[in-house]
Amino acid sequence: MKIVLDRPRCEGHGLCEEAAPELMHLDDDGELVLVREEIGEADAAAARAAVRVCPVAALRLT
Amino acid sequence: MTARIRRVVVVGNGIAGLTAADSLRDAGFDGELTIVGDEPHPAYSRPALSKALLLGGGDLSAHELPPATHGAEELLGVRASGLDVERRLVRLADGTALPYDRLVIATGSRARRLSELPGEFTLRGLDDALALRDRLAGRPDVAVVGGGPLGMEIASACLASGCRVTLVSQGPPLIEHLGPYLSEVFAEAARERGLTIVETAAARLEPGVRVRLAEGGVVEAGLVVSAVGDVPNTEWLAGSGLTGGGALRVCSRGLVRPDIAAAGDLAAYGKRRVPLWNSAIEQARVAAAALLRGDEAPPLRFRPYFWTEQFGLSLKAVGELPVRGEPEYVEGGPAGAGLMRWSHGDGSGTAVALNHRIPIPRLRRAAA
Repeated sequence: MKIVLDRPRCEGHGLCEEAAPELMHLDDDGELVLVREEIGEADAAAARAAVRVCPVAALRLT
Repeated sequence: MTARIRRVVVVGNGIAGLTAADSLRDAGFDGELTIVGDEPHPAYSRPALSKALLLGGGDLSAHELPPATHGAEELLGVRASGLDVERRLVRLADGTALPYDRLVIATGSRARRLSELPGEFTLRGLDDALALRDRLAGRPDVAVVGGGPLGMEIASACLASGCRVTLVSQGPPLIEHLGPYLSEVFAEAARERGLTIVETAAARLEPGVRVRLAEGGVVEAGLVVSAVGDVPNTEWLAGSGLTGGGALRVCSRGLVRPDIAAAGDLAAYGKRRVPLWNSAIEQARVAAAALLRGDEAPPLRFRPYFWTEQFGLSLKAVGELPVRGEPEYVEGGPAGAGLMRWSHGDGSGTAVALNHRIPIPRLRRAAA
């Protein structure tokens, strides 16, 4: 499973970081940084929660 | 206990219903899951409707969410019409009866209207937003009734679409939601962009459609949009004994009773409804866990997050709103972008970022 960021859509709310702090965070400029894009089973629930909480659907799982 | 739960029905396919269904699966529920939605559309992002989607050149997919992964049977375009809590049956308007072992009620709320006039527009659902967007393309003069966040976002989008816009507000816009300091900041930005603000004690609509002010004046416009609050969609529960109308009271885990949970805009924790995006999600997670695990599941911890985009201003806030008095500036200064904090008597605070890109975890730390 891979997590994909649609950067132009991202508004920097950071709700995803709150849902999955091990997988992503916003940097000092408020830009989202994916710690890793390939997601294993262990992180799948956190990744799904991060995708779901984004109000502008900037994240997707493929 | 989980082994005996074979069928869960989720009524409502907004973000609360969708998240409840996801959370049931994440918690290991692998039985029969059915989700009922009265709109024909897949679940979408409601905050986007009054922001990016409404703008003429805006992104027509701004409201779209990633496809659902819960694998539920989706019954869309059909309304729930009744609930029998003794026989554990949800009745649908098309005559279907859905049996359940556990039920999630997430039918949300609808726009409160000022009249029955067909010319009164409201903005609550996707179809409302698309209809409004179509009307704005003709550049009508617009009157927006309601000075809350939704009314102001609509007014902002109408102005950006090239319309002349009058906002009719009970008192200064946003004052009840954000307090006097931020109300002034937003009203000034709105006026600079050409918004006419009319304050009134009360307004009603007359055929035409015209806005009649309590003080005697009339606002005429080609298009009248009201944004005067929401009404919980609980009429279908009238015969269930769960509610006497209005919001649905839940416990600290989102349960109405051990086999029924509620989440989202219709749920009242005590007397408190929190009709916000992230709260609907948090409520749905808590409620799904409580349905499966009862008192072992954690209670809800309210962490409301509010944001709005209008008149060139982007505001993000955590902590209690409205705020009184002047803020202290953590970053930036008055009349510009920055991070503000209001301190409350109990040591907690409200942090507000204005045109300042900041992730929520940092905003929460600023408020703490």
